[in-house]
Amino acid sequence: MIEVRFHGRGGQGAVTGVRVLATALYFEGKFTQAIPMYGTERRGAPVVAFLRVGDHRINERDLVHEPDIVVVLDPLLGRMVPVTEGLKEGGLVLINHPRSGREAGLGGRFKVATVDATNIALETLGRPITNTAILGAFAKVTGMVSLESLEKAVLKQWPGRIGEMNVRAVRRAYEAATEPVDVSNVEGVKVAPPRSRFERDVSSWRVFRPEIDEEKCIGCRRCYIFCPEVAITMEEKKAKINYKYCKGCGICYEECPVGAVSFTQERL
Amino acid sequence: MKHWEVMVGNKAVAYAAKLARVQFISAFPITPQTTIVQYLADMIAKGELDAEYVTVEGELTAQTAALTAAAAGVRAFTATSGPGLLYMHHPMHATSGARLPVVMAVVHRSVKGMQPDHSDMMAQRDTSWLMLECENSQELLDTGIMAFKIAEDSRVRLPTIFAGDGYILSYTAEPVEVPGQEEVDAFLPPYKTTFPLLPEQAEESRRWLMEQWGVGQDPQLRWKRQQEAMEAAKSVIKEVNEEFGRWFGRSYGNGLVEEYRCEDAEAVIVGMGTIASTARTAIDNLQKQGKRVGLVKLKSFKPFPAEEFQRIGEKVRAIGVIDRNISCGSGGIVFGEIRNSLYDLDERPKTLEFYAGLCGKEVRVEDIERMAEKTLKVARGARVASLVGWV
Ligand code: SF4
Ligand code: SF4
Repeated sequence: MIEVRFHGRGGQGAVTGVRVLATALYFEGKFTQAIPMYGTERRGAPVVAFLRVGDHRINERDLVHEPDIVVVLDPLLGRMVPVTEGLKEGGLVLINHPRSGREAGLGGRFKVATVDATNIALETLGRPITNTAILGAFAKVTGMVSLESLEKAVLKQWPGRIGEMNVRAVRRAYEAATEPVDVSNVEGVKVAPPRSRFERDVSSWRVFRPEIDEEKCIGCRRCYIFCPEVAITMEEKKAKINYKYCKGCGICYEECPVGAVSFTQERL
Repeated sequence: MKHWEVMVGNKAVAYAAKLARVQFISAFPITPQTTIVQYLADMIAKGELDAEYVTVEGELTAQTAALTAAAAGVRAFTATSGPGLLYMHHPMHATSGARLPVVMAVVHRSVKGMQPDHSDMMAQRDTSWLMLECENSQELLDTGIMAFKIAEDSRVRLPTIFAGDGYILSYTAEPVEVPGQEEVDAFLPPYKTTFPLLPEQAEESRRWLMEQWGVGQDPQLRWKRQQEAMEAAKSVIKEVNEEFGRWFGRSYGNGLVEEYRCEDAEAVIVGMGTIASTARTAIDNLQKQGKRVGLVKLKSFKPFPAEEFQRIGEKVRAIGVIDRNISCGSGGIVFGEIRNSLYDLDERPKTLEFYAGLCGKEVRVEDIERMAEKTLKVARGARVASLVGWV
């Protein structure tokens, strides 16, 4: 039996991704179990899901504690969540990251493969929903599932145009995934989990960064009212963003009536 | 034609209702049951299921509407979880009192939190409903279909719960075989009520109901009849389970319990629902090491298979019971039932009590291995500090 743990953020589609992968593996004659963990249902918050793959019915109903493979749907998640915890020695990490496996901020007795799933998703879907792109890379680097079965499962989940777009994401990622490399002599980035459950620093959640042009801002307070994270304050009739609390949802950008908010991709 | 599909437990439940061709559904959404209601609403909207769907303002009405529909002569279904089931408690007695075969899916959620344990169903222990527990999504689908056949059998005529652990089953996706509609139709004929409500049958139905309630007779009769029906249900469950096996190639132990690797066992552990599933792996691991400990999966909590446990109790020297519930002030409810069953044996095995998985606490393979090993130790005469443990 092979056990996989997925780390993502609310909104990246980790749960659906695991389910699609389970279906694809089922097409190849495997018995599978796709287990989501539901916590706070909040866009951007860290989420976990598990996948078990076996040749026969799987009886274990506990969670996966010692995965063979870890899949990370977000490049910065590793700074907050110990994503490689319990990973078997010699195991594999597949992470959404624009650089190579040795530069992805992870080190230890395992291998790391990367794929720039965020940009592939932006180019194929127009949104940073990284689940299908990461699955394409998963097929390539693990060899556990064929591209054909994966595409079939994607189209079953989203029949029609959305499915076609996701199939493109799968294919692009399949081509773009990097070979797994050894990182046993790499120093990983230190994990700094929130000090308490009330700590609200969400700056690492951003894929996009809003920026307010003070010249254009007319002080209408719309962004201030609609920001779900209460990250905007009004100072002298101008909106100001506190980036520690901004998760990059883009609502301020959508709401501003005069186009004073720009919204551009964060540089890693 | 049967087909396979990777689906979550809640979808398997919806499929059971659909294949049983339920004609009436009334339910109120509650986590983790909600998606059952959504799947069914979707099936009705797409014209795949010809049923009346009544949205209600709460669970008390959901149950009342279902029992009324069943009385009027249609196959009625509802589903709920945790506190929703508590709200239903009152009309559940009315359903069994009128001997109406409403079938209900319970997606376990603790009554003291969001996560699963069996406290919601155990709080309905004395409502005269049958209660059948499932360990995986396939079993949910299969048991859902069987539940209608059992509940509607003229020897039973009692409402029936089929249940599975919330979250662990409700949201986990796995491959499930969906039987073909024609086979299910042949296995499960349409529901015929014995409780007709048409105006011209009013006198007849009044007489029948009065009789069930014991009006003008011994007032205890209604309870006596329900107890007799529960006893009769034991053989009906066995028959239906066997017949299901003949039709669909799957059956679940003898319908009441399943003994897993109990041949030559010195000791057994007992578990319900997903704990029994995980326990299979634990038992496999221990038997690989030559440890003779087996698993008894309790499938039918009501009626309680006392005879089965007497038979098992005669063979083994210790029984370790894993309860995902507790009646504070007494103890584990399954534990109590099992001890009760064993009392009249000439030679009784030792019994151990384990509380596990309450309020959704994870039960790992290792946890069950430890419980099974302790039970085995006691079977071999070891003295342990306590026969009760919180895992
Ligand atoms: S993107 Fe705008 S609306 Fe969203 S959290 Fe940041 S400041 Fe608030
Ligand atoms: S919505 Fe635009 S104009 Fe209004 S306060 Fe915010 S930035 Fe300024």
